[in-house]
Amino acid sequence: MTSETDHSHDEHGLGEAVAARIERRWATLSVVIICVLVGLAAFFGIYHATMPQGRVETADPTTLHLSGEFVESNLGSALEADGSVTVRAIGQQYSFTPQCLVVPAETPITIRATSADVVHGFLIEGTNINTMLVPGYVSDLPIRFNAPGEHVMPCQEFCGIGHQGMWGKVKVVDQTAFRNMAASKRRLTCVD
Amino acid sequence: MSEDELYSPRNPWFSISVGVTAAIAVLSAIVGLIWLPLLQPDLKLSGIWDAICSAAGVPNLPRPAAAVPPTFKTSNVVVTPEMLTRQDQVSIGRGATLAQRCAICHGPQGVSDANSPNLAGQYAAVTYKELNDFKTGARVNVVMSPFAANMTDQDMRDVALYYAYLPRVPSSQLNPGLPPPAIVVTGAPLRNIPPCGSCHGEIDIKAGSPWLGGQSAVYIKAQLQAFAAGTRRNDISEQMRNIARQMTAEEIDQVARYYEAQP
Repeated sequence: MTSETDHSHDEHGLGEAVAARIERRWATLSVVIICVLVGLAAFFGIYHATMPQGRVETADPTTLHLSGEFVESNLGSALEADGSVTVRAIGQQYSFTPQCLVVPAETPITIRATSADVVHGFLIEGTNINTMLVPGYVSDLPIRFNAPGEHVMPCQEFCGIGHQGMWGKVKVVDQTAFRNMAASKRRLTCVD
Repeated sequence: MSEDELYSPRNPWFSISVGVTAAIAVLSAIVGLIWLPLLQPDLKLSGIWDAICSAAGVPNLPRPAAAVPPTFKTSNVVVTPEMLTRQDQVSIGRGATLAQRCAICHGPQGVSDANSPNLAGQYAAVTYKELNDFKTGARVNVVMSPFAANMTDQDMRDVALYYAYLPRVPSSQLNPGLPPPAIVVTGAPLRNIPPCGSCHGEIDIKAGSPWLGGQSAVYIKAQLQAFAAGTRRNDISEQMRNIARQMTAEEIDQVARYYEAQP
C-alpha cells in the first residue's frame, strides 16, 4: 500500500517536472518570437518607413493659387543654394499639379505637397514615400533617389468618384542633366 | 490588509510601482519631446523649447521662401462649394437688367445658336468665376474681355445669379438617347483622365465646374483645345489643363458632340 503510494507519488513528481520544463521552454520560445517581431517592426519602422513629420505646417486650401509657395508658377522642382532640391506639388480632384515631377538622382530632395480640396494620398512607387495630403496641412518629406528611372505616383486615398484617374509620374534624371535644365528655368517639371 | 495600507507610501510595492511609472513617463517625455527631435538635422530646431513645440504639433507658418511669380495672369477667384448658392430676388432682378447687354450673343433666355456658351441654368459660381477671370485678364476673349472690364463685383454676382435662375433649355441638337462615350463615364485612368461626369454632373459635381449639357459642340471643342495647348490658363492650379492635355482629338470630338446632345 505504502510502496504503491510512493510509486504513484514519484510518477506524479516526474510528470510535474517534465511539464514545468516543457512549459518553460515554450514560454522562452514565445518570448523570443515576440522580441524578434517587435525588433523587426522597430528596425523596418526606423530604417525603411516614412518618418512622421517633425513639424506641423499649415496652408489654406482655398487660397493656394493666390499667394504663397503653392502658386502655379512656383510648383515643380527648385534647385536650392545648398545643392539640394525642393519639389512642390498639390493634389486636387482629380490630378496632381505638376503631373510629372523631374528630380535628380543621388541628391537630397525635399517634397512639399498639400491638397486643394479633400484628403488625397501621395505615394511614389518603389520608394518609401507614402503619406496623405490633408487640406490645410503641408506634407514635407525627405527623399533620395539612387538611380535614374521613372516611378508612378498614384493617389492612394479614395478622394472621390474620379479617384482611379488620379496619378502622376516622377522622372529621376542624372545630376548633370538636371543641372542643365535648372540653368534655364527656376522651376522644373516634365509635363509635355 | 486595509485599503489605507495598500495605497500608502509606506507600502514599498505601491511607492516603487508609482515611482517606476512616473520615471517612465518623464523619460519618455524627454526622449520623445526633446532628444529624438534634436536628433533630426532636417528640422533645424532653434532650441529645447522649439523641439518641444514641434514635437507636440504646434502649427508653424510655412518657411518664407521666395516664390517664383507667375508670368501670366491666373484666376484670383476663391471657389468654395457654398459660393453663390443662395437665391436672392433683388440680385436676380438686377442681373436680369444687366443681362440685356449679354443677350445679343447669349440669347434673351440665356440660350442661343451662336456657338457662344448657353448660360441659362448654369451654376452661378461658374458664370461669376468666368466673368471675374475675363475682368482680371486670366481669361482673354476679344468679345467678352471688354464687357467684363467695366463690371463691378456685385454686377458679376447679379448676372451670375440671374442666369442660374433661368431654366435650362435643351439645344436644337438634343438627343438624350446618344450613348455616352467612355471618357465621360469611366475616363481613361491609364492616361490620368478621370470621368468628365465626376466633376461636370451626372456622377458628381465639383464646385466651379460648369454644367455642360446643351453647350455648343464648337465651343466645348475650342475650350478643350485651348486648355490642351495652354492658351487658356484660368483653370485654378491646372485642374482642366492636366486633363485636356491627355485627351486625344477623337475624345475631344466625342465629348463635345455628346454634351451638346444632352439636356
